[in-house]
Amino acid sequence: MLMRRAGLNGILLPLLVLGVILLLIPLLGMAGYRLRLLSLIFMWVALAGCWNLMSGSTGYIDFGPVAYFGVGSYCTALFMLKGGFPFLLSVFMTGWICAALSLVIGLSTLRLQGAYFAIATFAAAEALKQVVLESDRVLGIDFFGGAHGLTLPSPPSGIFFYYVMLFFMGLVVSLTAVIQKSKLGYGLRAIKDAEQAAELTGVPALQIKIRAYILSSSLIGCIGGVEAYWLTYIIPDDVFNVMRTIQMVIMTLLGGMGTLLGPVIGATFFTLISEFFGAKFVYDYLIIVGLVIVVVILLMPQGIIGTLVKKRGKSSWLF
Amino acid sequence: MILFWQSLINGLLLGGIYAACSAGFSLAFGVMGVVNLSHGDFVMLGAFITYWIFILAGIDPFLTLPFTFLILFFLGFFLQRLTINRLVGSPPIMSYLLTFGLHLVLSNLALRAWTADFRTVQTSYSGLTMSFAGLVIPYSRLATFIMAMVVILGLYFLLYRTETGRLIRATAQDREMAQLMGVKIFKIYTLTFALAAAITGLAGSLISFTFVIHPQMGLPFTITAFCVVVLGGMGYVPGTLWGGIILGLVESLATTYLTAGISVAITFFLLLIMLVTRPQGILGKGVVEWSKGS
Repeated sequence: MLMRRAGLNGILLPLLVLGVILLLIPLLGMAGYRLRLLSLIFMWVALAGCWNLMSGSTGYIDFGPVAYFGVGSYCTALFMLKGGFPFLLSVFMTGWICAALSLVIGLSTLRLQGAYFAIATFAAAEALKQVVLESDRVLGIDFFGGAHGLTLPSPPSGIFFYYVMLFFMGLVVSLTAVIQKSKLGYGLRAIKDAEQAAELTGVPALQIKIRAYILSSSLIGCIGGVEAYWLTYIIPDDVFNVMRTIQMVIMTLLGGMGTLLGPVIGATFFTLISEFFGAKFVYDYLIIVGLVIVVVILLMPQGIIGTLVKKRGKSSWLF
Repeated sequence: MILFWQSLINGLLLGGIYAACSAGFSLAFGVMGVVNLSHGDFVMLGAFITYWIFILAGIDPFLTLPFTFLILFFLGFFLQRLTINRLVGSPPIMSYLLTFGLHLVLSNLALRAWTADFRTVQTSYSGLTMSFAGLVIPYSRLATFIMAMVVILGLYFLLYRTETGRLIRATAQDREMAQLMGVKIFKIYTLTFALAAAITGLAGSLISFTFVIHPQMGLPFTITAFCVVVLGGMGYVPGTLWGGIILGLVESLATTYLTAGISVAITFFLLLIMLVTRPQGILGKGVVEWSKGS
């Protein structure tokens, strides 16, 4: 009954089958580049999903999610290197640190509106990047490794990361599904439609915005930590790179903002085309990405899913 | 003590340039509500236009300014007509992403065309300085500062003393009302964006006299513009002068007494604190509620 109300009955079986297939893929002998590409897709689906959880549902455009990705990478690396903690425990603790940090940043920035919120989060991310880059030199210590970055202990095989990324993707997608049907989800959408009206009818706007922000940020931090261990080598210019923010945003937008499957479709599509163009046109790759962004915004502002919905003429929460 | 006064002067000279770089950003935001993430690339293009005219034709850099103005004016005109105009009225995220796409295209095309080499405009008078009570002021910096002031005053004059400026300000204040009064707002939008691009290009030309230029210099200038414009009040063009000078002073003092890298971090914390505590800018005249929907 609950399933039917959630509109899940038609799609639950295919989803379960897909899940089982994805779980079995490494056992069926897929390895090397293809497995890595799949893990990469899972990671981006999870990241875009986290962004969508906060910005897609509230309309508050977070332009600095990469702050938590970078902080997460560094926290996990430092826990493992300086503290000698095992990997999974490090990632778990990283999540809590990012949650605390996002509470501080969220409490101050989430009172801002529109472009001000976007610029403030952007500034927060850049400020954190500069702190990580410079504090070693300024304080005369050897902690963050400055521009040279940190090297993590050597990681286990790609199959391990395949499952970790699959786990995070599953977690983010199911959390989004649960939240969309929960009181929190209704509150977030009410904020998107008319924040003042929502507040007048008793939605504690600031509180639930912060809850969504913390949830999204701590998960992004965890994924950052996983990627740090996966790549074994992190530098501030990469883990705090503004392109990561843009990718999360454009993937969600490409799929459809505020929908469950939007980030999944958008991230899969975007990761595949950037792998393709990145390998084919090494030098013109970013020009092509820029053109793709411009064309998508001008021709499909509703995203792939939004365009499909328009064609079908009806809207549902899934699409 | 002389070090302090010297960095104060450096900061002031730097601040003038920052103000000129950011006025166009403020103008575009104030009138159209567009946060232009490709703003810094107009600075870069302006700088390269001056560089190439100087290198290829041997024309004095100061005389290249009209060319920069015209080229960037038309670039802004076409970009606005072809892309940004279609987004008026849609959620602001569209304009962030569209302009970021433009940034990627412009900066990477420039990278392909001109390589990542660092270049400078070296004239016969580049190294000359004047001394005053132990303080050193390079002539080229002073001249660019004065030109930057001229650019800002020119913009101020245009906005506050001419009929076109009145139309632009009316559109910024209340789009629908301006439309009802017979203002052709899409023409005003195009004009505003072209003008914003042109002044930004002029600032870029001025920058090439004293800074090292390269195709990837754009994004940092976009971020500088954020900071300047937030300090001065977003959308309030005369405020950029104050924002620029404050930012220049802060950066210069932080670079002198700390390190160059941490001065960037301080800039961002300043921006963050400013946004959280006083989003309307130090003069309190910025546009505050550009709410999400409109």
